[in-house]
Amino acid sequence: MSGGWERLKGSRSRTTRDSSFHTPAPSRTVTLGRVQPQAPGHRTIYCNDREANLPVRFKGNSISTTKYNFLTFLPKGLFEQFRRVANCYFLLISILSMTPISPVNPVTNVVPLSLVLLVSLIKEAFEDWKRFQNDMVINNTLIDVLQNEKWVALPWKKLQVGDIIRPPCCCYADCVGTVKKDAFFPADLLFLASTNADGVCYIETANLDGETNLKIRKALERTWDYLTPDKATEFKGEMQCEQPNNSLYTFTGNLIFQKQTLPLSPNQILLRGCSLRNTEYIVGAVIFTGHETKVMMNSMNVPSKRSTLERKLDKLILALFATLFIMCLIGAIGSGIFINRKYYYLSLDKAVATEFNPGNRFAVAVLTLFTLITLYSTIIPISLYVSIEMIKFIQSTQFINKDLHMYHAETNTPALARTSNLNEELGQVEYIFSDKTGTLTRNLMEFFKCSIGGEVYGSGVTETELGGAQRNGIKVQEVRKSSTAIHEKGFNFDDHRIMRGAWRNEPNFDACKEFFRCLAICHTVLPEGDESPEKITYQAASPDEAALVTAAKNFGFFFYRRTPTMIHVRESHVEKMGKIQDVAYEILNVLEFNSTRKRQSVVCRYPNGRLVLYCKGADTVIYERLAGGNDDLKKVTRAHLEQFGSAGLRTLCLAYRDLSPDTYESWNEKFIQAKSSLRDREKKLDEVAELVERDLILIGSTAIEDKLQEGVPACIETLFRAGIKVWVLTGDKMETAINIAYACNLINNDMKQFIISSETDAIREVEDRGDQVEIARFIKEEVKKELKKCLEEAQHYLRTVSGPKLSLVIDGKCLMYALDPTLRVMLLNLSLNCHSVVCCRVSPLQKAQVTSLVKKGARKITLSIGDGANDVSMIQAAHIGVGISGLEGMQAVMASDFAIAQFRFLTDLLLVHGRWSYLRICKVITYFFYKNLTFTLTQFWFTFQTGFSGQRFYDDWFQSLYNVIFTALPVIIVGLFDKDVSASLSKKYPELYKEGIRNVFFKWRVVITWAWSSVYQSLVFYHFVTISSAGGKNSSGKIFGLWDISTMAFTCVVITVNLRLLMMCNSITRWHYISVGGSILAWFLFIFVYSILRENVFFVIFVLMSTIYFYLSALLVPIVALLGDFIYQGIQRCFFPYDYQIIQEIHRHEPDDNTRAGLLEVGSQLTPQEERSYAISQLPRELSKHTGFAFDSPGYESFFAAQLGVYAPQKAWDVARRASMKSKPKTPKRN
Amino acid sequence: MSSHTASSSNGGNGSGDSGVPKRNSKRPKYSKFTQQELPACKPILTPRWVVSTFMLIAIVFIPIGIACLIGSRDVVEVVERYETECIPVLNRTNKVQFIQSDADKTCTISMTIPKRMKQPIYVYYQLDNFYQNHRRYVKSRSDEQLKSASKENDTSACKPEDIANGRGAIVPCGLIAWSLFNDTYSFSRQNQSLTVNKKEIAWKSDKQKRFGKNVFPKNFQGGGLVGGATLNESIPLNEQEDLMVWMRTAALPTFRKLYGKIEVDLEEKEVINVTLMNYYNTYSFNGKKKLVLSTTSWIGGRNDFLGIAYLTVGMISFALSMGFTVVYFVKPRLAFYNEDFQMCPASDLWSMVPLVDSIRFSYAVDSTTRDLVTLPSYHGTEVLDRTKNVCRILLMFKTHPSLPIGTEALHHFGTSLLIVTLMSMECLKHYIDSGRILLV
Repeated sequence: MSGGWERLKGSRSRTTRDSSFHTPAPSRTVTLGRVQPQAPGHRTIYCNDREANLPVRFKGNSISTTKYNFLTFLPKGLFEQFRRVANCYFLLISILSMTPISPVNPVTNVVPLSLVLLVSLIKEAFEDWKRFQNDMVINNTLIDVLQNEKWVALPWKKLQVGDIIRPPCCCYADCVGTVKKDAFFPADLLFLASTNADGVCYIETANLDGETNLKIRKALERTWDYLTPDKATEFKGEMQCEQPNNSLYTFTGNLIFQKQTLPLSPNQILLRGCSLRNTEYIVGAVIFTGHETKVMMNSMNVPSKRSTLERKLDKLILALFATLFIMCLIGAIGSGIFINRKYYYLSLDKAVATEFNPGNRFAVAVLTLFTLITLYSTIIPISLYVSIEMIKFIQSTQFINKDLHMYHAETNTPALARTSNLNEELGQVEYIFSDKTGTLTRNLMEFFKCSIGGEVYGSGVTETELGGAQRNGIKVQEVRKSSTAIHEKGFNFDDHRIMRGAWRNEPNFDACKEFFRCLAICHTVLPEGDESPEKITYQAASPDEAALVTAAKNFGFFFYRRTPTMIHVRESHVEKMGKIQDVAYEILNVLEFNSTRKRQSVVCRYPNGRLVLYCKGADTVIYERLAGGNDDLKKVTRAHLEQFGSAGLRTLCLAYRDLSPDTYESWNEKFIQAKSSLRDREKKLDEVAELVERDLILIGSTAIEDKLQEGVPACIETLFRAGIKVWVLTGDKMETAINIAYACNLINNDMKQFIISSETDAIREVEDRGDQVEIARFIKEEVKKELKKCLEEAQHYLRTVSGPKLSLVIDGKCLMYALDPTLRVMLLNLSLNCHSVVCCRVSPLQKAQVTSLVKKGARKITLSIGDGANDVSMIQAAHIGVGISGLEGMQAVMASDFAIAQFRFLTDLLLVHGRWSYLRICKVITYFFYKNLTFTLTQFWFTFQTGFSGQRFYDDWFQSLYNVIFTALPVIIVGLFDKDVSASLSKKYPELYKEGIRNVFFKWRVVITWAWSSVYQSLVFYHFVTISSAGGKNSSGKIFGLWDISTMAFTCVVITVNLRLLMMCNSITRWHYISVGGSILAWFLFIFVYSILRENVFFVIFVLMSTIYFYLSALLVPIVALLGDFIYQGIQRCFFPYDYQIIQEIHRHEPDDNTRAGLLEVGSQLTPQEERSYAISQLPRELSKHTGFAFDSPGYESFFAAQLGVYAPQKAWDVARRASMKSKPKTPKRN
Repeated sequence: MSSHTASSSNGGNGSGDSGVPKRNSKRPKYSKFTQQELPACKPILTPRWVVSTFMLIAIVFIPIGIACLIGSRDVVEVVERYETECIPVLNRTNKVQFIQSDADKTCTISMTIPKRMKQPIYVYYQLDNFYQNHRRYVKSRSDEQLKSASKENDTSACKPEDIANGRGAIVPCGLIAWSLFNDTYSFSRQNQSLTVNKKEIAWKSDKQKRFGKNVFPKNFQGGGLVGGATLNESIPLNEQEDLMVWMRTAALPTFRKLYGKIEVDLEEKEVINVTLMNYYNTYSFNGKKKLVLSTTSWIGGRNDFLGIAYLTVGMISFALSMGFTVVYFVKPRLAFYNEDFQMCPASDLWSMVPLVDSIRFSYAVDSTTRDLVTLPSYHGTEVLDRTKNVCRILLMFKTHPSLPIGTEALHHFGTSLLIVTLMSMECLKHYIDSGRILLV
């Protein structure tokens, strides 16, 4: 341990440079000439020259996230502890009890307080120790550093500003150098050279912003050569750059190199935490280290959240304080009245101390007040907080983190509770705000079905359909996978009619051919890697595109090469079966996709000169532009589109048009003109595109499955039944969002949908005019109108008994105005009445706003779940933040309170762990309240018979150990093990969760019930014991004294309170028996020993146990005390049962669920391929108006810009979405 | 996938992950603790349990209660209050002055024995309104000093009775000892005196350990004001049993203390003359003084409380067990499922049917036939003619293809749980009107 602390200190010393380098510190006089004072505005770094950097004292690269160090632990830790009111109170009481007015020995209060503090401090130390170890792992990761013309592997913490390092790619890590694992950049680097041509490298920034698409960074041309050690050693440059700051996307600086000043941009900067991809290795110079790196400057202090229950607990504690004060006041007044010189045996003459001086009754009362406060201090359960903390800590580290049900084998990720404060909050969640991409969906697009020439191909069944079928009670039949089925990334399709060239035999094979060519040609995908079907990978801005091209490949139209003007496709089976030929299509124009056009076209020239325009896009825009005729096909295809849409698939229509050379030439001129225009280029291009994208011929449509995370619809259904409302907040387009909402069963066609969109003609018209003020005013008006209309309608529906369920879809722009204070109430009213709410195209900030709208406005308990950096604000805004771990970046997880690998694990997290935690914590709190109140009240009743003098009833040590030993353990056991219904029943009857939402177990009514029980029991304890003990006891006629009777009473209290605990248990394990039995036994052991040692209770227990009275009372008093509670419980369970009690009784005779078998099932469920193999054919299909168009192209601009090596600024919605490129997590091969 | 093989290879009964775990796997290890599957008994407070528990309490408590009462009634107790009687009539207007004067305080009272008393007969004095449990009083002693002679000066807690003026520490010090009871009694019957044995009246532990045998009273009652009895300075404290009894302070302001034992039998209707020296001042605070003669039985002195308590609790339990039995039959439990067959708390039902106190439903649904069946008659429900009365409910179920609760649930409801399917207010009213749903 001490060694660890030493090391901790070492890593903490951020202010001093790591002095572990062997170069002797050069004397100042030598280097003085080169030293320039660090201007506050910028820093100067000498690359590859440690000596030169030395005087500036840059911070080292070691990081520390610990809260304490060896020296600050005690003061800081104690300070933290005394920020709790309860601890402060007990400190005060302890101090009071050292004064003579105290009736009790100081140990009474000091011992429990110190025990409580000790436990808390040990816990803090343990947690900090773990943080420290994490830091150590990171700090000791190895990296190749240039030293003496060689790459030397050094730990990260030894890195210094100006060092030249060589981070390898994580994929190539095996073959390069010594660094093998997690090749993240260890510091912020200046990119100098790369193994790739043109000084380019690809990086993944998932750790920073959650985006997994590759970004391109390009080194300055002048530095490209410094790749080998000997070359790199020669690199001597001076860098002037900005001071460390937290802006991830900006960087300003100059590299003064070979007497030239070269400007640096963010394009040459590689940030700590990013990882290198598709590049063997790069060489870079360290700019910012350790805590000065941008990612560390960005790491926010996660605001510590307190659970609602705990806040309510504060109120309870306040109520207890009030009770305490009233009790003391009564006693104080009584003492003022009682005190009298007539009690001569008290010797209350003139010289007596003020606290007993009858001459000053007021002073007596005041002093007695303080006396009584110390006497009754036990009413505040001192060990409550520390017990709850311990319970929660074990709950989160042992139960949540180790739950096999929440372990995701594919990504090898268990659940992680990052805070233990919020366990019980999980049992009361009413609103869930979910991100879409990566949370509900896998961000994995798969070509799933298609409709070609009026014929549907593809035999898969979507998750949505499965769910629907199961709800309708139709058994899902397993369909054997046919031999033609191919499942690869982006393609999950099976239909023997068109696979492996079989389409040639289809009646509409011409349409098929056009369809496949359209897929292969009309796109903006870049092929990468080997030009063989197995090895090639497609780089696409949107995963949809990649899926379509992959589909074309599988149908025999293998797109393998793109040049600026050509697309090369290897076509098979076109002329005749089995024949393969390479065809090069000349790409003449690309009419790009954007959100207003909702389509994309490519004009290409066949080798034989045929000019074709291929177009794909939303059904609405394509249908508008179709040539006349062939209505049957249009109708059938539309029906198919609707069918796909209701199955939750994303559809695109494909069409083509043959162009004559003349038409094309005349159009192309206009196009070139538009393209080169300087003003309104976008708009002009759109207009020109309109000219050629008409008279299209429909080929068919594609249906891509935006693959939901496993079990999402079922999970959402369960959550609905549990009374939880799920809102989807996504940066995606409205179509995509609605589509997913359909797929997840958030919305269905039975629901009344309210759609508030900014994409209306009226708004667009105003927007076109371009007057910002006017736009804002107009949209606000529109939104207000819409909201009012919807609200009225909603209220109408709510008044009718069996109205449809309501759902609201709103887009970000409207939301911005709807969140305006004047409209906020209306929005809240409407949305709270809706069954489900979908907010699309919202910025991260808006996500947080919506969350806090519900959190603060409706005072409901909210949970946010997301996976990316764009969800961070929402995760922090909600009561509980849940991050999806295991796949993408760490930002969401780092900001979250709980991290789970899959959305569906929410069921377990909320319905099982949350519910149990809530129940348990409620029990623990109420029980603490009860046991301390009972104990204190017996003392209170005694006060009345001691002339209000504040004489203690119990011995000091009884009182101090009551809380920390005799009743401490069993309640913790309950907090850990109590289980009303089993996990599987919790999930089978999600309705049970509603008890938590309504907070039925910690209402004032519950507390008052317990309080009555306390009053009753304390009366029984006090009066039964005192009355029955009057007169001679045992046959020798001897009489008991005060301590005999109080020991008797205390015995009864300990027995009763412990047995009462057993009475409230829903399940009793042997730990319950051990702890309850142990507590009672501990009391007896204690008193046996203690009564030998201590004067005033000398031998009392032996005296007591020598009488029959002891046994008679020990039997009678606890039973009488418990009788009241027993009657209450009997009546309650029979006539006012809680829901869980009913479930308990229904399943009373079932053995505890064999979850072991369940676990095996979980294990075997995990392959999606197998799951996909379920299918049904006879599923009744409803036609819906919803056709499911969705085509997502996040950040087209930035994607292409990146391809060209140009740095495009991030846009708000770019952060909100992230592109595909989800590579399966590779487990790095060891050796 | 190796995790599959791992999970499928260990089908053993929960003996942990026996499969070869994947290297680097973060899969949590299986343990009953972390998976919260510790074997547990699940006590459910069913009516049967409630009734039998009450019954058990009754069966155990009533005999004990009777035994205690008999034991207590065996005890013969004579109580004589004497604090007023023993003041000469002339002095009764100012008792305090009398008691503080040097006048002769001898007083004779007689007690009639109601019933034969077997020896030993215990003599107690009982004081009233005397706060031996007052905080100032309780702590005014020095246990150290009482125990060993060397700690003689350990008198810090004893103020103001700690040090005699100029003569060193008072032994035993403190208010408790200082206010030692000093009335004395001597008994005679038919002019023949009865010896009072004053040995063995203190608890053995006091005698042996708490009061030292080398500790002799010193400077006791030497102060200006005499609080109570004086002690013979030649007798060590561990033989001063009166002091020991007195110093075991009482819990309540009314208390008895053992004075001595009369070791002869007293016959019925015998008159005992007590010559008592009425020294002790309870008059300042209007305290009563009583002289008590009592025998003991196995349970101790006369105290009916335990017996009565046992008996009462036993009888209450019996009554409750009867009451619960009746109530369960008359007014069975209910939970109900709403239209969507989602479980609702029973309380929701009352909000839907505010005028009705409770409803007894008599049917449930058979999940296989989807027929309505009447509940077993031991619930106290009448058997219904299903063709006539339940058609609407049948219709209701026809529209709901799946039912979560079926027959097996029904059987398990066993004791008292009924399923209620509530279709609508109209329907409910109809059933209430037609008498098929009984209002209790």
